[in-house]
Amino acid sequence: MTKERYSRKWELWAFLAPALVVVVIFYVVPLILTVYTSFTPLRNWNIQRYATRLIGFYNYQKLFHAIANDPSVRAVFLTTAVFVGCTLLVNVLGGLILALLTFFVDKRTNSIASTIWLLPRMSPIAVYGLVWYYFFHGSSVGTLNSLFLKLGFIDKPVAWGQAFIPYGPWSVIIFVNGLVGVSFGMIVLSSAIKSIPSEFVIAARVDGATDWQICRRVLIPQIKWHIMYVTTWQLLSLLTSYAHTYLLVSWRLVNKSYGTPWALYVYDLAFTGVFDQGLAAAAGTLLVLVGGLLGLMTLRILGFGKLMTEPRGDI
Amino acid sequence: MSLGDVEVRSKSRQIFYSIILIAFSVPVIMAFSMLVLSSFANQMVTNFDFSKVRFTLRNWQLLFQGRIAITGGLRENIFLYLISTAIVALGVAIVTTLVGTLSGYAISRIRFKGRKFVLLMMLMLHALPGSILIVGVYFLYRLWMPTSLNALRYFSFFYVIVARAALEVPLSVWLMKGFFDLLPWEIEWSALVDGASRLKTWAKIMMPLIKPGVVAILIFGFLAGWQDIIYVRTFLIDKTLATFIESNLEAEMAYMPLLAAAATLYLLPTIFFYISSQKLLFKVYAGGIRR
Amino acid sequence: MRRLLFVVLLCAAVLLFASVEDSIVQVGRTLEKNGINEVRYAVWGTGDPNSVLRVLGIVEAARRINDIWAKNNINVKVIIRETRYELDFTQMYQEFLSKQPLGTAGDFLVNSYVYIAPLAEEGYLLDLTPYLEKHKELLDDFFASHIEVAKYKGRIYGLPQDTEARPFYIRKDIAAKVGLDLHGLDQKVLKGEFTWFDVYEWAKKTVQLGASQWGLIHRRGSAHPDLMQFILAFGSKLYDPADGKLVFDKEAIYKWLTIEWVFAREKLLPSDMMAWDWAKQVHPAIVDGKTLFDIGGTWYWTEWQTKDYYTDPKTGQMRGLKPEEVEQWFYYTLFPAGEPGKKPVTLSQPFMWMVSSKAGAQNPRYSALKSTYDELAFLIVAKASDPEINAIHSIISAHLPVGKASAALLANKEWLDKLYNLQIDLDPSVKEKIAGIVKATVNPINAKFLSDVSYMLDHTNFPPIHPMYAKLAAIFAEVVDYVLRGQMDPAKAIDYAIGKINADLDLKASVKIINEIPKDWRFAGK
Repeated sequence: MTKERYSRKWELWAFLAPALVVVVIFYVVPLILTVYTSFTPLRNWNIQRYATRLIGFYNYQKLFHAIANDPSVRAVFLTTAVFVGCTLLVNVLGGLILALLTFFVDKRTNSIASTIWLLPRMSPIAVYGLVWYYFFHGSSVGTLNSLFLKLGFIDKPVAWGQAFIPYGPWSVIIFVNGLVGVSFGMIVLSSAIKSIPSEFVIAARVDGATDWQICRRVLIPQIKWHIMYVTTWQLLSLLTSYAHTYLLVSWRLVNKSYGTPWALYVYDLAFTGVFDQGLAAAAGTLLVLVGGLLGLMTLRILGFGKLMTEPRGDI
Repeated sequence: MSLGDVEVRSKSRQIFYSIILIAFSVPVIMAFSMLVLSSFANQMVTNFDFSKVRFTLRNWQLLFQGRIAITGGLRENIFLYLISTAIVALGVAIVTTLVGTLSGYAISRIRFKGRKFVLLMMLMLHALPGSILIVGVYFLYRLWMPTSLNALRYFSFFYVIVARAALEVPLSVWLMKGFFDLLPWEIEWSALVDGASRLKTWAKIMMPLIKPGVVAILIFGFLAGWQDIIYVRTFLIDKTLATFIESNLEAEMAYMPLLAAAATLYLLPTIFFYISSQKLLFKVYAGGIRR
Repeated sequence: MRRLLFVVLLCAAVLLFASVEDSIVQVGRTLEKNGINEVRYAVWGTGDPNSVLRVLGIVEAARRINDIWAKNNINVKVIIRETRYELDFTQMYQEFLSKQPLGTAGDFLVNSYVYIAPLAEEGYLLDLTPYLEKHKELLDDFFASHIEVAKYKGRIYGLPQDTEARPFYIRKDIAAKVGLDLHGLDQKVLKGEFTWFDVYEWAKKTVQLGASQWGLIHRRGSAHPDLMQFILAFGSKLYDPADGKLVFDKEAIYKWLTIEWVFAREKLLPSDMMAWDWAKQVHPAIVDGKTLFDIGGTWYWTEWQTKDYYTDPKTGQMRGLKPEEVEQWFYYTLFPAGEPGKKPVTLSQPFMWMVSSKAGAQNPRYSALKSTYDELAFLIVAKASDPEINAIHSIISAHLPVGKASAALLANKEWLDKLYNLQIDLDPSVKEKIAGIVKATVNPINAKFLSDVSYMLDHTNFPPIHPMYAKLAAIFAEVVDYVLRGQMDPAKAIDYAIGKINADLDLKASVKIINEIPKDWRFAGK
């Protein structure tokens, strides 16, 4: 290797090393350890005692047995499919609508609106759960019930998360989780819109286009890639998120069977009752495999290859 | 570009859209303002029945004294918790930014084998939540932890910061790459041709040009660190505001309005940071994915 | 007579602890000989805000030990470097669980006895049995049943810190309106003459007459622990010590769920009871007189005094109850027998002083002196069990004392007066911290309640100490909710629960399902 190429290689490593080191140590290695743990009976964090015992596929056996026999597990799967699908739609569409709306309003409204929509993201997760617990509370204590009662829409309080099963619980968890994700899409797409060269919009205006036509013909087509990026990113997030609705189930606001997506099911296994980390690792591994596969599929369908532009320039 | 640059819009249309925007935001506004209101009341304000609600500053007084109830409880040092939270948040912000800007630059500018793979891997890593990784991260902590209590305290801060920052690295790398992609090649070219190393070019020339991006990722990192509960609870010796709230919130006999005050206190720094860097944040995802 | 008894007990207590004092001196000399002048421990405790003596008791115990050492010219001091007190039992347990193997957890854990089993199983707790064998007298003062639940596989892992009972509260004013004679009712319940069949009749009458909105209120969220009393009240059990398995008694559970079903369908009990909010619905309903019966805990007695749940009809604002009002309005009995022929029950969930197996690991020369540090840790909890500390804790937190000497103190008016005026010998920082609580809770009415309700401990039961119990309890909570809401009738709920048990291989192996759903059993004609 010539001296120049050698020094270039060294430079490359200097740039990439921090990210690679951090990712390998705190992502890849723990992932391998997690998969390893799924073959041990680790519980109650007792690494000393259980880490070196291998029990083969017993944890996976337990898992599949539970899936095959637990009366609520089927509900969990159905819930996950509906939850991920609908929340994804809410997030992407919601983010898009908000981004488009903020495009058309003045800066100050824009600023206020985006701050409000970031609140779900900024809250401590338990507090976020608490806030919606009171909002959707099934008695007249609940904010929504109180509002509807006052406006005369209903004459008796409705237990939103426990009635009209499964649609009630589904609606609540989709709403609660959706609000968190919408802000992500809103910010991404909003920035994307802002980087569209103004000539396109001016030209359309000059031609007398309405706002709706500008959206359809100019804005949305130009941010197709961003939409795809947001969709994939959100899909992966949703498959693995549980935290924001955990309190709602645990406080019985939402029906347990239909309020528990797969990620929450995994969490319950590992962190509550008996701390069966071996079993949780197995469930988690499964979750990761499914998530990874779905993610790859999405990218294929949406054409990831085109996402990657070649680097600007190299000497 | 915003529409304001383009031409004068009809005021009524703008107001119409503003109304729709606020309408969508009503649930969030309602829910969170009730939280803030509750922190000033003698019970949780959850519906529109204000007949028995009395407003008081007592909860905030108690909070700053570090109390968890009106009678009883021990006094804890809320300010220390705030500082611990800030240390973690700032640490995560800095580490994420550093790591992301360095690697983002390389991926954007340098052609190397495995480039696509690295980007793809970063995207896929997003599928791994903290709760699954925790066992592995725990293993490593146990392996490396020092024995003296003092050293352990500092090590725990360091460990939590880097471990949490790692979870934001995929996002950081993608974002920074996007920002670097926007910069024209010519500036770099001239610097490199003049004999500057890549590293120097990166530090002296490129970084100042993507200040908005840097601010954006600093904010994301800060939010991530400020909000973290799992890593902080498992590894940190000190308590943060998040663990303080969580370890008192779900108890049957919790005095909620006080916790509402703690939650409001918790939100304030993040709102402040966000508002003060509002404009910069919106340039965040300016693609780089195309063009 | 009373006073003589008290003096005798106090002397006995003094004598009892003479040998503990010897051990303390011995340990102190050993430490001093090895050049250690300071020993640091951290204590983690949890519970309601008034129970701070769970951690401050350790601070006070440390002070007493330091005094003994000073008296014997031993130049060593115990310093409690961290007192951590939080409201949520489970979160603290989770944090202890993850940090203990790392050595960063507290040296003392004061938490519910249910955690002894898993913690002891993993070796996270110090086995106190050898020390208690050396100091047998210490055990004598405790109620024997409470020592039993501090055991795991025959070894003792904790000392009882406090206990409680679950009274069945009855509103005196509403009872008067419907003609329910409360005179001697607690005796009738005790003899099994007043059962849930009678509870139903009276609840129904009350609601029909409009005397109150509800006939019955119970806890929300989880079925454990209060509702487990139903299973016990039908003569069944949750755990079989013979084979160490949890018990799922279909017959008893069917009867329990039927009661819940009937009460909910006839609107005697809210169908969304499990989702009620403690602070905004449950307690206000009870103190505002919206229900005749309530399945509660002894700690409600002061909870109603220290928090604002009551809407004063004169002002329309919310306030706490006065002790006189609580006494005026609430009658309490054991949890009635399920049906004629069965016995009444109550449930206790004692708290325990537990010692980490790594207690004191941060101190110098730990590996060489581990046994000394362990013994010192034990002596600290032994001192924290001093009758005075236990008695103070009981009255300020409305828990029941765990020993006869502390129960005697509570009955002593002079001592109570001294306590109210803070003329008790305590560490000054501890005194300062409990001053506010003392003023708010120490009064003769509350003390009388505690001593009057103590008889329930003779009939108490404890939820099982089994690692899988938490999972079973979670299933119960789920089915009770479905039954109350009318989404599943009792028979279907039982099938569902069994399905869930069998789906979890670990649970399936730990639970035995016995008996059958009774074919001809009728409750209230249903």
